[in-house]
Amino acid sequence: MAVDEGSRNYEHPAYDYMERMPGLSLAMTTVDKVLEWSATNSLWIFPMATSCCAIEFISSAAARVDIDQIGSVVRPTPRHCDVMIVAGTITVKMAPRVKKLWEQMPEPKWCIAMGSCAISGDFYRDIYSVVPGIDTVVPVDVYIPGCPPNADQVLHGLERLQAMIRSDRAGGGMPREERPETAKMINPENRRVGDPERDPSLTDAQHDASRNLGVGANSDRTRDARPIGDIAEDEAADVRGSVDDLEEGA
Amino acid sequence: MSAWEALRERFDLPEEPSAEEPPVIDVSRHVEMAAALKEFGFTMYVTVCATHFPEEAPKAKKGEDPPPPIPEHWEVATVLRRPGARSETFAWRVSVERPVVPTLFPLFAGADWQEREQYDLVGVIFEGHPDLRRLMMPEDWDGHPLRKDYAIDTRVHPWR
Ligand code: SF4
Repeated sequence: MAVDEGSRNYEHPAYDYMERMPGLSLAMTTVDKVLEWSATNSLWIFPMATSCCAIEFISSAAARVDIDQIGSVVRPTPRHCDVMIVAGTITVKMAPRVKKLWEQMPEPKWCIAMGSCAISGDFYRDIYSVVPGIDTVVPVDVYIPGCPPNADQVLHGLERLQAMIRSDRAGGGMPREERPETAKMINPENRRVGDPERDPSLTDAQHDASRNLGVGANSDRTRDARPIGDIAEDEAADVRGSVDDLEEGA
Repeated sequence: MSAWEALRERFDLPEEPSAEEPPVIDVSRHVEMAAALKEFGFTMYVTVCATHFPEEAPKAKKGEDPPPPIPEHWEVATVLRRPGARSETFAWRVSVERPVVPTLFPLFAGADWQEREQYDLVGVIFEGHPDLRRLMMPEDWDGHPLRKDYAIDTRVHPWR
């Protein structure tokens, strides 16, 4: 797992308060049960829904499966929610936004990766713009495989999460699920930029493409002009020259 | 009279329009073509599609000298539509060796994001476009992913 948020033992905010109430110590077991019941049966869902899995997710909220029956209502804001369900393909441009929304959710919070796109990038995992698995961005507790998963599988995923929360409150810790090794489709076949085992000629080819005729990332047309880096100085001058020509001509 | 007949003489178009192969015109007459069509009622800017063709050496036929290599070039196809009861679609291409094509933004406001998208993905500069920034890829992205020589990948961390 690329992200590690340490141990996230679950404690209800009202727990301390209730414990300190006079005369309540005898009733602690019952209070515990009440808190556990309320914690597991009010998992409000923030739908991080980006593509086709989102449609299946909608049907899991509809009459036939009805995740409302376990107290999971869908809220369109991260600040009210306990569970983020990532339903769909996450692109590289979207990933920082997902992370930001995840950070806006108050603790305790959990994340469910729904569908193979959120789990591993699925058949898009080799595409330049797709994140190969949302667990490289946020920590994932429950994986629901499928393309898309059935609506009842979503309900089952929520029930697995409930079981995990119960085990955590009973002192058993909160073991996250393992990323399923479906058909060995875990990591992209292409080594990505920055990977030490990547073939350097690929990086060179990409640099060639981006400096081709002086347009693209190295021109000052992009908002964050990037350093020209390892392009030779005279070529870099060409690049700047051709962009200047264009702007004079325009 | 159809648009094709009206413009055939002026732009040197072939006899019959073909759905598979829109006519290729010279890039210097690109804006003129769009303006003429707009006067003719083609007021809807449907799409622009740029394609990158890397340098290519065609195969020689048996017993012949190999034909000269085709240099790297870009093709930009523009599609306009005349809305209304008898709507018509008109497409033409320009082929350029440097990825620079005049913008149609002054004629069609709808060209704004479409041209930004093609700039972003294929790296064609639409000369004179007032705000030619990336549209789809993140702002700090390197290169233009739909070029044929683009290496397929993403940054390693935190997206591997
Ligand atoms: S896993 Fe399948 S259904 Fe779900 S978002 Fe990906 S492609 Fe769509």
